[in-house]
Amino acid sequence: MDYKYIEQLLDRYFEAETTLKEEQILKAFFEQTEEELPESLRQYRPLFAAMEQDETLGDDFDARLLEMTEEKMQVKARVISLSDRMRPLMRAAAVVAILLTLSTALNQSFKEDKVWADQSDYALRYEPTGDEPAMAYDQASDSLKSDSLYKPTGYLE
Amino acid sequence: MKKISFRTDVLPLKNELFRLALRITLNREDAEDVVQETMIRVWNRRDQWEQIESIEAFCTTICRNLALDKTKRASNQDASLDDEGHDAPDHSYSANPEEQAMQRDKVERVRRLMNLLPEKQRTCMQLRDVEGKSYKEIAAVMDITEQQVKVNIFRARQSIKQEYLKQEQYGL
Repeated sequence: MDYKYIEQLLDRYFEAETTLKEEQILKAFFEQTEEELPESLRQYRPLFAAMEQDETLGDDFDARLLEMTEEKMQVKARVISLSDRMRPLMRAAAVVAILLTLSTALNQSFKEDKVWADQSDYALRYEPTGDEPAMAYDQASDSLKSDSLYKPTGYLE
Repeated sequence: MKKISFRTDVLPLKNELFRLALRITLNREDAEDVVQETMIRVWNRRDQWEQIESIEAFCTTICRNLALDKTKRASNQDASLDDEGHDAPDHSYSANPEEQAMQRDKVERVRRLMNLLPEKQRTCMQLRDVEGKSYKEIAAVMDITEQQVKVNIFRARQSIKQEYLKQEQYGL
């Protein structure tokens, strides 16, 4: 197998003349095991294997950072959103209160209307008999007589 | 410009930033502190995110500067070189455990050589050969010209190749 291309790339790599793409090709080529590589190129394998991205930070780092940053913001935001969330409820409560007041008021005025309607009904159906003045006089004098303060005879005597 | 979110645009940069910080500080704890500090600083400047051309370059620049500060303050580069004994997984498919161990050893030797390079060469090599960044991106992060990036990468590759092959040749 001819490795001229790889050898050429390798020379240009050490001269810092390769593109990122060519460097990827070299990296991929040297991912082969030592036995798979031609003897002349084997020695370069560790130079590329050492460039692996193998150092990482754990998930606990993310959790810690989020707690220090975004999560702090979310707690703040939650306070605001709580009152925001309460607002429609308050509105609904206000509407209910208004409706209740209105309906109570309406109910009452309906009842009053009914009383008035009954009374005016009665007035309309009333037919005078002609004895009314006499009845009124009797009633008035009865009530005056029964009143202890009324003493007409005393004054006349 | 698209909206930047800390969770989806900044936090996923943690490993890349960690590797750079580790390459500069040569100490895992310091590197993790640097990444955390970087992210907090970036977060505190979230009102400026919309004006930033590349959030990745922005984060990388802050990370490098903090890592440099840390090494300057500690100035324990030589001491930490020796106790930096983290074993990196080698994706070698060789069946022979002895062979695998030898491969790991060789890779570790290259890494140690890389860590002995001057910081600029080390950072350039890290960003190019490990993270696959363009000369332009590296130049922006390091505030140097693309030509200077290229020179640093050239020197880094040359000295690692020479040192490594010398060690191999003399069986050191």
